[in-house]
Amino acid sequence: MPILSLIIFAPLLGALGIAFLPSSRPSLVRVVALGVSLVTFALSLGMLLGIRAQGGEFAFSEQLSWIPSFGITYHLGVDGLSGALVVLTTLLSWICILASFGPIQTRVKEYFISFLILETGMLGVFLSLDLFLFYIFWEIVLVPMYLIIGIWGGADRIYATIKFVLYTLVGSLLMLVAILATAFSHQAATGSWTGAFDLIALRGTIVDPTLQVLGFAAFGLAFAIKVPMFPFHTWLPDAHVQAPTAGSVILAGVLLKLGGYGFIRFAIPLFPDGAHLFAPLMIALSVIAIIYGALVAIVQTDLKKLIAYSSVSHMGFVTLGIFTFNQQGVDGAILQMLNHGLITSGLFLLVGIGYERTHDREIAKMGGWAVRTPVYAALFGFFLFASVGLPGLSGFAGEFLVLLGAFIANPMVAGASTFVMILAAVYLLYMYQRVFTGPLSPFLKGLGSHLTDVTPTEILTLAPLAALIVVFGIMPTILTSSFAQSVETFLMSAISVVGQ
Amino acid sequence: MSNDLLTLAPLITVIVGAIAVLISDMITPNRNRAPVAVALAALGGTAALLINQGGSSASALGGSYVAGPFVAFLGLLGISIVAITLLIAPAYLAARKYPTAELAATLLFALAGAILLGAATDLVTLFVGLELMVIPGYILAGYAKRDPLSTEGAVKYFLLGSFSSAILLFGIVVLWGAAGTASLSGIAVALASGNASAALAVALALITTGSAFKIAAVPFHYWTPDAYQGSPTPITGYLSVGPKVGAFVLLIKLFIIALAPLAALWIPVMVVLAAATMTLGNLVALTQSNVKRMLAYSSIAHTGYLMVGIVAAGAGQAAGIAGVLFYTAAYAFMNLGAFAFLTALQGRPGATTQLSDLAGLGRKHPRMALLATIFLLSLTGIPPTAGFFAKTYVILAAVQAGGPATILAVIAVLNAAIAAFYYLRVIVYLFMRDPAEPAIQVAEGPMLRAGLLLAAIGTVALGLAPTPIIEAVVQALAK
Repeated sequence: MPILSLIIFAPLLGALGIAFLPSSRPSLVRVVALGVSLVTFALSLGMLLGIRAQGGEFAFSEQLSWIPSFGITYHLGVDGLSGALVVLTTLLSWICILASFGPIQTRVKEYFISFLILETGMLGVFLSLDLFLFYIFWEIVLVPMYLIIGIWGGADRIYATIKFVLYTLVGSLLMLVAILATAFSHQAATGSWTGAFDLIALRGTIVDPTLQVLGFAAFGLAFAIKVPMFPFHTWLPDAHVQAPTAGSVILAGVLLKLGGYGFIRFAIPLFPDGAHLFAPLMIALSVIAIIYGALVAIVQTDLKKLIAYSSVSHMGFVTLGIFTFNQQGVDGAILQMLNHGLITSGLFLLVGIGYERTHDREIAKMGGWAVRTPVYAALFGFFLFASVGLPGLSGFAGEFLVLLGAFIANPMVAGASTFVMILAAVYLLYMYQRVFTGPLSPFLKGLGSHLTDVTPTEILTLAPLAALIVVFGIMPTILTSSFAQSVETFLMSAISVVGQ
Repeated sequence: MSNDLLTLAPLITVIVGAIAVLISDMITPNRNRAPVAVALAALGGTAALLINQGGSSASALGGSYVAGPFVAFLGLLGISIVAITLLIAPAYLAARKYPTAELAATLLFALAGAILLGAATDLVTLFVGLELMVIPGYILAGYAKRDPLSTEGAVKYFLLGSFSSAILLFGIVVLWGAAGTASLSGIAVALASGNASAALAVALALITTGSAFKIAAVPFHYWTPDAYQGSPTPITGYLSVGPKVGAFVLLIKLFIIALAPLAALWIPVMVVLAAATMTLGNLVALTQSNVKRMLAYSSIAHTGYLMVGIVAAGAGQAAGIAGVLFYTAAYAFMNLGAFAFLTALQGRPGATTQLSDLAGLGRKHPRMALLATIFLLSLTGIPPTAGFFAKTYVILAAVQAGGPATILAVIAVLNAAIAAFYYLRVIVYLFMRDPAEPAIQVAEGPMLRAGLLLAAIGTVALGLAPTPIIEAVVQALAK
């Protein structure tokens, strides 16, 4: 059974089905969307259990001829790394769909259609092993996200969504040129187009030094914009602040991971020499992102923007870990991706829950929230401490391993980045103090009975994330062992190929 | 002789069809359905004949006309263009009391020119085919004869068009003299063995200038925005697609076949023209608030992308020509689709479409807005649409060619990002703004709907399953 195709296209089929439902029955649309995303989630769990049993580098491989004139194939496969990210995607998708039940009241049908197409695009990116197929899914992700921010977003949504699309498009179009150049170099070297777009066939075969450098530069730019690395991060705060809650969650939880995943799966294995050449720059930019993101987060007055900048800082650890090229660093980077996906998604959900009640995110207007809604405050505190990197919660392990890896590679870098763990505590705890502790602020008091505590549905969206944060916090080895083989293969493929 | 007739059968069918359209109009005047039906029947017959000829390489007229897969591909593309135009135009023209029969006949004559152009193997037939294709264009541009804008556009188009034809013709004559033969492949042989002369330089300069006018490359593009804006909208759709496809066939025949030995001389010029064309076309399109004018400038930008393929082909990459051919097919469907959408919005005489008129259309007419979105995403080059694959194809060829072509490829993709801004802005208006007051009228007849659907199917199918067209293109070039 082509389980990977099934996982990718189940949401798309659901979207098609929803298109035929009457828009006059929004609750039916919501339930169908939730059902489709739950089925996809179940399928992806089944896939996850089967990966190890399958053996080999990529499990559940599917390969069909698609555009034979250029050797382009429909090639899918999953390993520990992509498997974990696929499950993260399917998990966050149903959580987001559930979390959208209340907030999304206009054009409900179109919203859930966009969301399910978005899910298909994201899953396709993680499961493609053909560069052309990968690129197509990569671009497909843009369109529904463009619509989700642009139609259901905040006041400045149009500016934010166009900025998001243009930034991403510039990077990805240059990547397209690099993909084509890579394919052609393969064709020129072997005399045939067979395998010219196939990741597995291409790895380790690109020996042209110029292509190594330019190819990495183009792929790297596309992924750096997506992560986003400093100085390409400026689209992120705008997109996050304007997007509806579920959009922010998917943006932080999955879309940013596409960049990190791209580095590990495509950019570095294809262009290891280029990667080594650029590594010092990438490490420097990562450290700048870590520190800069944290410093800017401290002065934010908008709750959502604060979390957005904390994302820039946290994602800096991901790229830092990747470019240490050692096992600890890469393990940590992948852990950090997954944990950031769980923790920051939770924080964005919580900010969204608060916004539903107050219609405001201005930190200065808040204060003493815990007095009225203790459960909300406790949940917020839980995710906040996970984000700070409290040992025992999952955020700690990733950052710790990245710092360990960085220390092996360059102690100076590790020192500078460790300092930021303190900054993270500063901006998050300072925010928590201003929002939740002390006497009830006049603004919150004025809301009266509107300021209710979290509902059971909202708890349902947060509980799986919280549970995983605890489990992975206590036993991070569940994760690291699941992608150990992927990391090993990655480290092997990151060795120089030019001049061998 | 009878073999000649057999080979020329598609061409003859089109011309007979055009005459039959005019006769049917005389028998049943003021009935729009009959001429369109006759024209569509003629198109169907021609398509069948072309498909039948696809595998052969029979020649006629003493070798000046060679049938085969290349003609079959171009002919079928031309038939699709004319058919879609004929489906979307009648309602629009009827609302303004302009006749349909003349449109159908004129389009068929232009199609005859396109087929002749595709089949031509010598300079004379090539030029005759070109003129037969573009002269109907002048007539069509002035179709709204009571509208001063249309007349102005037509006059500009006619003057610059005939001016450029004269330049081109002069270049062709000098080339003929310098090479000593009118045969396209003969010229290539003569040029490859002989030395460059002053006459050749003059010929190259004149031909390049004339061709640049025909494809509307910057800085020879000034006639397009006026001609496009003044013409009735469905006709603008045709003008932005049909003559452009023809002009690129001219470019392939002249530059890639005949002038291939001089590629080192014309490639640098073409690179500069291409870069200027796409960049200026996009930058000006960015500033337009009238949707029709925006599409006019964006069509200039698409000329630039197509030229990337020509440059790659000149550098010896056959994929360049294949890319150009694929691009023309993709462009025909998506651009005609965009104009069909615009036609639907302009059911009322005198209607013009500003961006702001589109606000909130997605809420009132979701299906129409969805179709428009498909065309716009394809024009932007977002997968999985035809436009994406077309751009990829020419860029692939350019990357293969290396050198200046690769730089041109990078310029092209950066331009695609600029273009994304104004195409996506239309989507912003369709879906993200509140409905305009008064709400825009949308006219949807069965024929218009069929035209829109055809264009949409082409746009999506060429993106999802490009293989049949790629194979057709590659086969067309294999001869």
